[in-house]
Amino acid sequence: MKKLFSIFIFTTLTLSLFAQAKKPTIMVVPSDQYCISRGYKLEFENMGATQTLPDYKKAMQNDADLRLVITKLGQIMADRGFPLKDLEMELRNLEREAAEASMLMSSSSSSDMAESPVDALKRTAKADIILDLGFDIKRMGPERYISFNLRGLDSYTSKQVSGAAGAGKPSSSASPELLLEEAVLSYMDGFNAGLQTHFDDMFAKGREVKINIRRWNSWMDNFETYFTDKKGEELEMLEHIENWFFDNTVEGRFSLSDASENQMRLEQVRIPMIEVDSRGRERAVDTRRFLSGLSRYLRDNFEIDSKIYVRGLGEAWLIVGEK
Amino acid sequence: MKTLSYLSLVLVFIFTMGEATNAQERYSRREKKAHYSSDYNYEVQIMGVGQDGTKVMKVSGYGKKVEDAIIEAKMNSVAAVIFKGIPGGHGAAATPAILKDPGAGDKHAEYFESFFSPGGKYLQFITVTTDGMPSGQDRMKMKKGYKVFIYVQVMYDSLRKQLEADGIARSLDSGF
Repeated sequence: MKKLFSIFIFTTLTLSLFAQAKKPTIMVVPSDQYCISRGYKLEFENMGATQTLPDYKKAMQNDADLRLVITKLGQIMADRGFPLKDLEMELRNLEREAAEASMLMSSSSSSDMAESPVDALKRTAKADIILDLGFDIKRMGPERYISFNLRGLDSYTSKQVSGAAGAGKPSSSASPELLLEEAVLSYMDGFNAGLQTHFDDMFAKGREVKINIRRWNSWMDNFETYFTDKKGEELEMLEHIENWFFDNTVEGRFSLSDASENQMRLEQVRIPMIEVDSRGRERAVDTRRFLSGLSRYLRDNFEIDSKIYVRGLGEAWLIVGEK
Repeated sequence: MKTLSYLSLVLVFIFTMGEATNAQERYSRREKKAHYSSDYNYEVQIMGVGQDGTKVMKVSGYGKKVEDAIIEAKMNSVAAVIFKGIPGGHGAAATPAILKDPGAGDKHAEYFESFFSPGGKYLQFITVTTDGMPSGQDRMKMKKGYKVFIYVQVMYDSLRKQLEADGIARSLDSGF
């Protein structure tokens, strides 16, 4: 019995010691302005209007300067414990994955893999933090200098979490490659300090995420219908959900930016980084895990099923009414 | 006429005395001494973008002898990177301090006392200096000693990693 108790204590301690928050993925993506101004673009007609989109594949295949800057950024970020997701590799993998998935069949019944149109749509290169990169080699008389612009953007909240921009020292002798390397070296310490501030804020006040709550058309009620919870409190569904957010976010921080009988849009929702699960283990929390709590609350209190649709580490939708 | 000139002389004297007293009130001898012996009183200027993971800067130091001032300048270069940060210039962007907490020096006083002790570990992070006797504008004779400027290359990344390993600085990926 004593031995069993010791094992239990040791296991609990080990698990709690290794609980760590979910690490955001980071990827460098050339800015739309950079790609389009250099002709790395895709043009197509949409309802009579011409739309221009950046062609990342073309940019990565043709632009040696861009590759150099991305390599240098990747080297610095890997040194800081954040190996970058490589855009070129990611695009190549997605192509290969799609080809393999279309050919794969089960050996017994020759069945292919299930894939909804949404699954296919979600197969895109993505990361939690996008490093939006743009630079230009400019001339001033006989001298060349680099104008550099790097923005760290949170994919879900669309907020700029860090940034570095400016012009380098003009030089008539240094090669453009050397000037580019100099620009990256010069700006990255400041950029990473901004990123560190963002992470510190995340650990102090929780991860900032975006949540959409919607209803299936098949659900007979809506968010303005009155429901009575287990405590006997009769409120509109919208208020019940708002109360749940107040109880479960870090220091009750969230803002209901839009609400109607059909949807609720919640922004600046601060979710805890780590929580203790039903088995007493500390686990990292992402938006899906956070929303599963609300889904459970709706089922336990009002017997309403709901579906969680994940858009990434920092954004998810809850669609109420059925699975 | 004579009385008028005497009067103006007396007024000028009173005015000058008043100014002198004001200056004395502003900086007493003890305050001036504290100013020069302060750990925070040093000037630092970036001299360009250094090689990968390094910072090249010009930094000042005070000392009774030029040699003492050079030692202090070396110490100041590492202290600037850790506590103060280096403002941008000469085509280089500003470098933030490794420790963002303004009270970090006091919080880890024991660690930094040994780190900055004579011949201490801080020297490990200085690679190139103009160790020779500074001359011209880089060597100023003060009332009780010298103020010198030297050029130093500090291994910024290695220093940051050391402080992270020693638990003084927080690494970018800590907690994840």
